[in-house]
Amino acid sequence: MFYQTKLRSITLIAALIFLACYASFGSYFAREIVVEIIILAILAISLDLCAGFGGMVSLCHGAMMGVAAYGFAIMSAKLGWPLFPSALIGLFAAVVFSGLVGWVTSRTNGIFFIMATLAFGQMAYTFFFKSRWLGGDDGFGGISRFDLSMIGLETNDSLVFTYIGLVILLLAYGLTAIVMRSGFGRTLSGIHVNEDRMKALGVNTAAHRAKAMAFSGFIAGLAGIIAAQHTLYISPELLIWTTSGEALIVVILGGLGTLVGPIIGAILLVLMKHEISNYTDYWHAFIGLVLIFTVLAGGRGVFGQIEYWFNKLTQKHQSTTKPHGDDHA
Amino acid sequence: MDLSFWILQFLNAMQYSMLLFLLSIGLTVIFGLLHFVNLAHASLYMMGAYIGISVAAMTGSFWAAFFLAPMFVTLIGAVLYFTLIDRMRTAGPMNQVLVTFGLIFVFLDLVRMGWGDIALGLDGPASLSGTTRLLGVDYPAYRLFIIALGLGVMATMWLVLARTQIGAMIRASVENTNMAAALGINVSKLFFLVFCFGCALAGLAGVAAAPILSATTTMGITILIPTLIVVVIGGLGSLEGAIVGSVIIGFMETFGAVMIPSFSAVLTYALLAVVLIWRPQGLIPARG
Repeated sequence: MFYQTKLRSITLIAALIFLACYASFGSYFAREIVVEIIILAILAISLDLCAGFGGMVSLCHGAMMGVAAYGFAIMSAKLGWPLFPSALIGLFAAVVFSGLVGWVTSRTNGIFFIMATLAFGQMAYTFFFKSRWLGGDDGFGGISRFDLSMIGLETNDSLVFTYIGLVILLLAYGLTAIVMRSGFGRTLSGIHVNEDRMKALGVNTAAHRAKAMAFSGFIAGLAGIIAAQHTLYISPELLIWTTSGEALIVVILGGLGTLVGPIIGAILLVLMKHEISNYTDYWHAFIGLVLIFTVLAGGRGVFGQIEYWFNKLTQKHQSTTKPHGDDHA
Repeated sequence: MDLSFWILQFLNAMQYSMLLFLLSIGLTVIFGLLHFVNLAHASLYMMGAYIGISVAAMTGSFWAAFFLAPMFVTLIGAVLYFTLIDRMRTAGPMNQVLVTFGLIFVFLDLVRMGWGDIALGLDGPASLSGTTRLLGVDYPAYRLFIIALGLGVMATMWLVLARTQIGAMIRASVENTNMAAALGINVSKLFFLVFCFGCALAGLAGVAAAPILSATTTMGITILIPTLIVVVIGGLGSLEGAIVGSVIIGFMETFGAVMIPSFSAVLTYALLAVVLIWRPQGLIPARG
């Protein structure tokens, strides 16, 4: 179950301020890094909502993001539609794709769910990879950023684009937090804990899981729209299963089921990647070892571990009070 | 397209199927017994190829590589078993996927450190360098050797599983681990032996594939997905499932690439999707 605790709010605000400062005082390269963090963080939040709350460890989140990015790019760059309707179409495509995957896989669990989502993700990847009209494995360019000049924002300025990205990250977080606090989110957690009991309570668990995937697809789609507008170019790399694997690493590194954790995880992973590649070519091995260590250390992740210690510390003083939150599940 | 063309494609499909079989059989038996999903299985396959290349370079003999590389890979597998696999057995599929995903990264960079980024080739044995005339077509003898190797491993495994005491112990443990342990089978020793055997087969597949495919840093990731699909389609933990699955995928990918090139890549994933919806336990499940 999700609670927006004080620790989470403080960490979220601190992370956003850190990213804003890093972008504002850093070079152009620093802003590129921050946008990379934003995209990965939104994707990881979307995955956390499935894996952390619904127990659905999906390996097709990269594909969900990619479908939105391709949908947006096809409508705007290939068919010449205006940008905002194109983005809506892209998001809609991601929601439909994720909902379908969620519906088809709604009766599988554990390793079978992982494999099934892997298959559907790779199917989407192969589709775009093989499509000649969409440039195959080279992808295609010609994408433009939102025109916000009427409210005085020049999106082609890297700093303005980074700020917009941060706002979307906050929106994605807020939206996910609200949904996870609602009856819908509580029911999803219930299905995770005991699916049979939720069925006995009269919940259509299959449909509920599919809806959760569809919503997750919407959030992942936001990351896809930013990714397409960031590089002004799109390629099937977005959809490949290792992108989903990277998002999963971020979720675990930060803290599963916390929503703030994925943001922390994304910051850590991207910064580590760039710092290590300054010294050595072999950052993959380092990330791999960090991942193995995180799982062996209990799998709580960095933020999860801090929260665990914090709760232990505060519970010594007030052993009976639980974190507050509205329960209407 | 005449008959000899189809015979050629048939042999290609057989050869690919056997390679998939060598990999998936280890993966599936490990899952059936240990309930462990080892994504790094394909990394061991890659290690088999690279170690084989080094051994062949040092000794000058393909056969030395062919026998020694699986042994080295088994050693790596044994180290992995005691450091990671054994303690991850009860950690749930997500943690297993994550840890072995981390291992893929580690092995990837180990290979890049040890052998570099360039694709390396391995010369097959001189005795198998020519072509053999079979069913009216000239087919490379080495590829026929891989088909024979796969069939040989298949027959041996069937004999061992169906006819020997250790086979009976493995089957009993797959069926019900606790009951097998209660009957006096040393289950943890069996786990270790089976894991090592699976690793040896992965190494064997790697060194056997090196003369055909040449060793690259991406070869593990490339073969991982078809191998996982074979295992899931056949039924996790099932020997017969691994045979049926690898033949289906091997033939579908080979003939699909010839007959419907634009659609062939999606075909395998579509098949997996259909199987997962229609029979999530696989075509030939391990437990009846």
